[in-house]
Amino acid sequence: MALLRAHGIEAPLPGGFEGRIFVRSVIGNEVTYPVAHFATFALPADVGDFGSGAVNLMGPNDIFASLFEYGPESIGTALFSRQGMPRSLTADDFRPYVLRRGLGGQSGTQWFFTDSGRPFTLYVVLGSHTRRSALVPRVNDLVGSIGISAPTVPLTARSVPTGPTMAPGARWN
Amino acid sequence: MVALAVVLSTVVLLLGILVAGLLRSHADILKSLHELGVGVGEPSGTEDLAHDHRHGTANGPDGVGLHQVPIALGPPLPGERNSTSAPAVAGVTPTGDALGVSMEGEHLTLLAFLSSGCATCAGFWDALQRHDQLGLPAHTRLVVVTKGPDLEIPAEVATQAPVGLPVVMSTEAWGDYEIPGSPFFVLVDGRSGRRIGEGVANQVHQVVELVRRAEADGRPFDLVTQSRAHAEGLDGPERELANDRELLAAGILPGDPSLYPRSLADLYGPDGAPLGRAG
Repeated sequence: MALLRAHGIEAPLPGGFEGRIFVRSVIGNEVTYPVAHFATFALPADVGDFGSGAVNLMGPNDIFASLFEYGPESIGTALFSRQGMPRSLTADDFRPYVLRRGLGGQSGTQWFFTDSGRPFTLYVVLGSHTRRSALVPRVNDLVGSIGISAPTVPLTARSVPTGPTMAPGARWN
Repeated sequence: MVALAVVLSTVVLLLGILVAGLLRSHADILKSLHELGVGVGEPSGTEDLAHDHRHGTANGPDGVGLHQVPIALGPPLPGERNSTSAPAVAGVTPTGDALGVSMEGEHLTLLAFLSSGCATCAGFWDALQRHDQLGLPAHTRLVVVTKGPDLEIPAEVATQAPVGLPVVMSTEAWGDYEIPGSPFFVLVDGRSGRRIGEGVANQVHQVVELVRRAEADGRPFDLVTQSRAHAEGLDGPERELANDRELLAAGILPGDPSLYPRSLADLYGPDGAPLGRAG
């Protein structure tokens, strides 16, 4: 089983999945944090943090997942109060309207949580809502084996620019 | 005394000419090996050769004999070599991110195993900068695979990495695919999840030809599986008769030139698109 490991995230890839773990290039004074993308189809070179440019390529049996880390200011907030990444999703967790980009027939789920002292969101898209019962076990094969390491440097101690143009949290696109 | 000095000088001169000739001959041999693409000039030198040898595909004298044909489907690589498996390729990018590429899907994946310091690879690195102009058939995904950061220098790979192409640094992938040396190319059919072509190439057009040949080999299968005769379960003479009827209905009579293609372009057109393919 192929193993991805970078930026404190480790993901054995189940059969048929590919993925990447990366940190976007910094533009201006922004601060970027790790993002992990996983898909059962060929990921294009440039994919938005939450799958723009990729979800439109999905077939009905495809899966796309994004694991997106937020900045240290998110730690301790109500949104990220859940401890630990969800490891076992159910078909009922997926809704056609939980999509950042509503594409006909697709279905999605999104979870905010803190794992190993790092704030994340997990966003998963299924190519077909009607096939979610068959697709969710594959999603669980993926998310069940992802490992997140505690930051080597405490998040609150990370160098954070203080310029007025810095937006709190990571950017959404 | 003078005579002795003259004789000695002559002998030294002759020996010098002999040594120069040997050096020239050696240089010619090295140049020929480069042109054959057998991996001479790998950045990690003897370590790489030792690594390759552990996988039973040494780049030594035996290895040279194995790669006389620049590129071909099913080249005469060692018999005990697994030349069909196509595992996912996972490693890191030159910038330190993690990247894993699955071979499964409705597309072909062309894996280009290159090294940053291999002289023959230089032409491929340059050509891949314009990867959209290579003329590869549609639905062909190109992925560059170098050895991992343990055997390559990420900064050097980064300077040569083509923009817009995935570049995976993975020594494990070189082992999984039993790569004998660089440059080496592997073509994987995502539908079957198997290698359908692999080999050494000196020029980009040889690689493109490999992909086109492999695609051409695959297309008749598609045509057969999509034919009405096959769908109706016909076989033997009945299927032949049904096919004849369809050809006649399409205005293709016995002796029609389209029944006797002379090149791939006759079948697929200059842009690779199938000609006259129904459905």
